[in-house]
Amino acid sequence: MKRNCQNTRMLKIYPGILAGFVGLLLYGFSPLSVQGAGLKHLIPTDDAFDCYACHKIATPKIAQNWYESKHGMILVKCFVCHGQPDGKGSIPWTVSPDPKAVCQKCHDPAMKRMEAKFGVKLNCVKCHPFHQDSLHHDAYKKTQSKSQ
Amino acid sequence: MKLTRRDVLKTAAASSAIMALNGSLPMLKEAAAAEPDKWVKAVCRFCGTGCGVMIGVKGGKVVTVKGDPNNHNKGFLCLKGALMPPIVYAKERVTKPYIRKDGQLQAATWDEAMELVVSKFKTALKEHGPTSIAYYGSGQALTEESYLANKIWKAGLRSNNVEGNPRLCMASAVGGYVTSFGKDEPSGSYEDIDAATCFFIIGSNMSECHPILFKRVASRKQADPNVKVIVVDPRKTNTARIADEHVSFKPGTDLAILNAMAYVIIQEELDNPRFYDKYVNFMTNKKKKVDFKAYQKFLEDYTPEKAEKISGVPADQIRRIAKMFASSSGTVSFWTMGLNQRIRGVWANNLVTNLHLLTGQIGKRGATNFSLTGQPNACGGVRDTGSLCHLLPAGRVIKKAAHRAQLEKQWGLKPGTIAPKPGLHTIALWNAFSEAKVKAMFVLCTNPAHSLPNVNMYTEGMKRKDNFMVLSEPFMDAETVKYCDVLLPPAFWCEKRGVYGCSERRYSLLMQAVEPMGECKSDIDILLDFAKRMGVDPKVIPFKNVDDVWDEWREVSSATPYNFKGMTRARQEKESGLRWPCPTEDHPGTKIRYVRGEDPNIPKDYKNKYWYYGYPDGKAKLWMRPYAPAAEEPDAEYPMVLTTGRVIDHWHTGTMTMKVPELRRSFPKAYVEVNEEDASKLSIKNGDNVELETRRGKMVFQAKVSDVCRPGLVFVPWYDANLMINKLTLNAFDKGSKQPEYKICAVRIKKA
Repeated sequence: MKRNCQNTRMLKIYPGILAGFVGLLLYGFSPLSVQGAGLKHLIPTDDAFDCYACHKIATPKIAQNWYESKHGMILVKCFVCHGQPDGKGSIPWTVSPDPKAVCQKCHDPAMKRMEAKFGVKLNCVKCHPFHQDSLHHDAYKKTQSKSQ
Repeated sequence: MKLTRRDVLKTAAASSAIMALNGSLPMLKEAAAAEPDKWVKAVCRFCGTGCGVMIGVKGGKVVTVKGDPNNHNKGFLCLKGALMPPIVYAKERVTKPYIRKDGQLQAATWDEAMELVVSKFKTALKEHGPTSIAYYGSGQALTEESYLANKIWKAGLRSNNVEGNPRLCMASAVGGYVTSFGKDEPSGSYEDIDAATCFFIIGSNMSECHPILFKRVASRKQADPNVKVIVVDPRKTNTARIADEHVSFKPGTDLAILNAMAYVIIQEELDNPRFYDKYVNFMTNKKKKVDFKAYQKFLEDYTPEKAEKISGVPADQIRRIAKMFASSSGTVSFWTMGLNQRIRGVWANNLVTNLHLLTGQIGKRGATNFSLTGQPNACGGVRDTGSLCHLLPAGRVIKKAAHRAQLEKQWGLKPGTIAPKPGLHTIALWNAFSEAKVKAMFVLCTNPAHSLPNVNMYTEGMKRKDNFMVLSEPFMDAETVKYCDVLLPPAFWCEKRGVYGCSERRYSLLMQAVEPMGECKSDIDILLDFAKRMGVDPKVIPFKNVDDVWDEWREVSSATPYNFKGMTRARQEKESGLRWPCPTEDHPGTKIRYVRGEDPNIPKDYKNKYWYYGYPDGKAKLWMRPYAPAAEEPDAEYPMVLTTGRVIDHWHTGTMTMKVPELRRSFPKAYVEVNEEDASKLSIKNGDNVELETRRGKMVFQAKVSDVCRPGLVFVPWYDANLMINKLTLNAFDKGSKQPEYKICAVRIKKA
């Protein structure tokens, strides 16, 4: 499915601010900031929809991994696990979703099996690369994603 | 607008800076710390898949949800289901009754509101008789609520004007099943997905409308690469991502394709005479019984080449999909509104069933014809309880004197109590309300001022002063609130107790998780209060609570093939849903109907394996339905086709999903999906404003240019209250099912 981002023009860019925070530009996209406490992101307007549309340009590898994953195939979109960038959503805004707050909603039976087998695991994603678990090993090749 | 990586980086930098200035992020909502005090078993509030959910409650409030591992969804939820808690505590919740005075809704007490309602209904009854009052219910109301309203109206007030929004979403499926098998509802179950080797998905975007079932289909394909998926849809939706064959066709021509598939199946000798010789009657469109040869002759008008000319689908592709369908070890077909919301919806349903009857792809694990329903309780709540103007509970119809007599006996009524003439179907009812022929209407748990087709026609009628509408609606911003005369505050979803019955005949109990907000009351209590104030005989409505209603309904079902007497409340509290028939408390429920050894309605020593007991001779009917065009085909003046539907993020009129920040922002407003070729011809770019004009009016939407729609087709989702596409849709309806043709109307578009 082709997604398009139409509303970024609504986000005003002020040259002065840009000039003053070149450092933040670099910091904002460094792995350190993404994994660190001070997560940086666009300020979303009320219309800042469709994470995938921007992320396939800003972070193409992650976006494509999601698209081809089980979550992408069944449209469990970014915000279901990661929340809203301004923190005003119903799910905490985070890079690494809290298994108890997020993964449990669908994977509670599997989490219980894991706990029984290996003891309590606090971080599901350490072992399960959720973005990369392709649903059909070649299904995506038949889809629009090939042309994107 | 084309967005480059550089644009994104620039914008990101700016916002990083502003964020840094603004300080830290606001407090988080659903944090891990909020470990619930208890988990309460329920069912998702959204689609007809009917996924089991566990509601997490802490300090008397809903804090989270998770999938019920013991229900059919095995713990999984889709994105809407996973994000339900904020809806309960939306600031728009109606928490006290209101009465409209001088055009404004003003707060009132329950007594004031109910007395006004009852005086209006009594006056209408006295002055104009039972045909001047009506109930308009919902496939989202609990089973007990629909059963109770149906009984109050048909037995208590002697009015058959009982309708509801399921007329708009699944009436054609009812017509299809009843004409083919003599009984409503699918015969298979979701478990058929796990055994199927071919899926025929037509007129259904399962991936966005029934995501958890789509997941199950996709998992099946993942487990076995030989599994084939055929998606027949003029849009290349997300469902088509897993398709081996995506069949794009000229909208409205699928009847020709389905007949051509039957032609190929017979030509390739993939039919199953051993099955149809014994279990199928061939019927002409004029209800005349004929033989197989007559059917073959009928199909000569639908060779793949002829069907290609009508539908635009290559003859070779029709041959390929027909062979896939017939030669698999088990084919499951799924369909939804693409077939149902059509003026030939019943015929389209029949033609899919024909393929199963012709090939014997039915009545065994992994082979069934499965209509998916759109609402969580359209099947269990409205179809099964007979809460429509022509029906009575458990598959009985008003027209048949014997059916009325059976029910009058079961309900302990005097013979002749139930009026013999069916009431008004949805479109006729709203026409009559607009003309103030129906004087008093009780609307419960639905939003007709947004969901009716050609809706401006009906909202004009709702504005009249000489008709009266009482509305039970949980959200103040629902469109219909603007037009109601009295607004009642109902308990919402987790604040009440009762049953939802999903597409696979599974009845699951929703347990009450929290107390109702403010002065809210459950719709059962509202209806019981209404009946009492209306002076309905307490012997007719003897119920004290929701469990009493369920017990009576269970008893009523036991004299019919629906028989679910074994689903006691104690059992429902323990189990995560049971499928009817379920006649005794030790019966596990039924996975496949009409099959000896599976269906408890068939004796274990019955002579044949299959028994279509809906018809006296025990045979199903294969109908010769010809291709017929849509009610409003495109022409020189309006050259394109407009179709409507859902996006995964929103549900129905958006009154619930718009309360979840994530979902609201994901699709904040409706848009028009335009094909790249059409866009290029009309110089429309992504994000441009585009004017859509039909014979009903014109509206402007932002364009999404893509290859999802085929050329000549545009799509608009219908959830947005600010951009209601139903102002432009058509209210022509199927003569059989009375379901309107939302899916096709003629439109012209231009850059605004």
